[in-house]
Amino acid sequence: MSILVIADVKNRTVNPSTLEMLSAAKEIANKNNMPIYILIPFGNISGDSYCSNEFKTCVLDLDIEQYRALILVKYISTVIREINASYIIGLHTPFSIDYIPALSVEINAQCVTQIHSLDVSEYITVTRGSHAGKLDQHIVINETPIIVTVLPGSFEPYTITDVQTKEIMIIHIPEKDKHAYCNFITKDSKDTSLDEADVIVGAGKGIGSRENLNLIFEFAKVFPHSAVAGSRIVCDYGWLPYSKQIGITGKSIAPKVYIACAISGSSQHVAGIKGAKTIIAINKDPYAPIFNVSHYGVVADIFEFIPQFIDFVQNNT
Amino acid sequence: MLTKLKILVCIKQVPDTNASLCLNNGMPEYDEKTVYVINRYDEYALEEALQLKDRDLTAYIHTISVGPGRVQKALRRSLEMGADEAFHIQTQDDGLNTPYVIAQTITQFAQHTYDIIFTGVMSEDAMNQQTGQLIAAMLGYNYATGVTELSLIQNTITVTRELDAQESLIYDVPIPCVISVQSSTQKPRYPSLSNVLRARKQEIAIIKPDLAIPFAQTKCHFTMPQKTTQCKFIEGSMLKKVTELYSILHKNAVL
Repeated sequence: MSILVIADVKNRTVNPSTLEMLSAAKEIANKNNMPIYILIPFGNISGDSYCSNEFKTCVLDLDIEQYRALILVKYISTVIREINASYIIGLHTPFSIDYIPALSVEINAQCVTQIHSLDVSEYITVTRGSHAGKLDQHIVINETPIIVTVLPGSFEPYTITDVQTKEIMIIHIPEKDKHAYCNFITKDSKDTSLDEADVIVGAGKGIGSRENLNLIFEFAKVFPHSAVAGSRIVCDYGWLPYSKQIGITGKSIAPKVYIACAISGSSQHVAGIKGAKTIIAINKDPYAPIFNVSHYGVVADIFEFIPQFIDFVQNNT
Repeated sequence: MLTKLKILVCIKQVPDTNASLCLNNGMPEYDEKTVYVINRYDEYALEEALQLKDRDLTAYIHTISVGPGRVQKALRRSLEMGADEAFHIQTQDDGLNTPYVIAQTITQFAQHTYDIIFTGVMSEDAMNQQTGQLIAAMLGYNYATGVTELSLIQNTITVTRELDAQESLIYDVPIPCVISVQSSTQKPRYPSLSNVLRARKQEIAIIKPDLAIPFAQTKCHFTMPQKTTQCKFIEGSMLKKVTELYSILHKNAVL
């Protein structure tokens, strides 16, 4: 029996958060004394630095541009059977979530997505956010194989010490399964405002309308180096462009201060704000999950609080 | 000439995101006053299907929902928006059924009847993000998730999948297929008066789930989320909250 970690892809290279999955795998390995395999799903994504004596590495003989979910499912499930994997770990990103759950049909196993912690005692229990982040769901693993996807930023990255690329298993893929190329489109990334700002003010669904965003912009203007961003839903509504979206499907930010305004705080959003040094949440719902990850909380209606705050700053500086 | 498309849109009814809930013996319970709505991503999926109907490319659009009696309200709404027929697979509750079981149920209903099966990328409450992929794998169909744009050329759908704020992926998915929608290019439409009138008279077919499918529920319990930070709540009058936040921001050297 063994543990399989499936590397994720970001910017057409191995996503460094793959190392976080290795930490999760180590926790399981320490209990069950199982070998860890790491699978790099493509040959051209600079996976070499993830190859080590500590793990066994396999690479699919496929280019990232030949990506098709069903092809990955077909060959990764072969690997799973061959190495008799009990625990299959993927990363919860838009790239990997496209195919990892489908493995469960192929290998007849349960898949639990978006886990953020792991408890290894007599049984292994995985925990995921549910009910829009309002609750944690704890699932006891009593059957293997099991597939899990790990929320990025939930585990400390593992440090690989002895990188070596001698003993890599290459999984051959016949030409008939290599599809026409798909196109990666990189959007104009001149907008670096979220990378450079000291203070980011985030707007959530609770702002109610595009017009109300003006209040958020006025609020941000109070700070010398600031920017405005939004949750997924605010961008889906077209109130802000997608380049301003924070979360798993958007940007990860690391400002000095992040102020979440009327954002409930789903795990999708929270995954993108962990780099912020100080997190402040303003929300009228005292039970909003955002307060669980904030350093300071203000329970207030933003439409009352923010105008008073702006007034106060203008009168005192 | 292209034959017209037979489309199925999978719909989950979810509690409004503001709904309050409590825990009873480690199991969630929603307040009686909870308002249930169509899952936002499923509404986008339905809109994408209706866009195809607007261009006269569809033979019919069916909608399906698995859950207790209340989900008929969501199905009724789908008819009002423009779906042609709705199917309700009746279960006790949909809360704790695994995505695998939901996918099996839908797959068994769909058989190989449909050209395109649309789902939302995930449900807003459970956020499993699996049902579309599982249906596709069970049917052996091509599929794509996280779709933000699609265009149909003959028997192929060209999809745009969003990977993050910077990068997206474009490729062709041949029909039959499953498309899991992240967001639609058009806002989900409001029902037209004529559709509302039509939907009022329409019957929603109720289907008893096949008992051969074990309605296995996840063995689990729930807790309030663990706090990763000790949140210091700023209390007092509005003025006190304002001044205290000001001084915190001042100490953090951003103001």
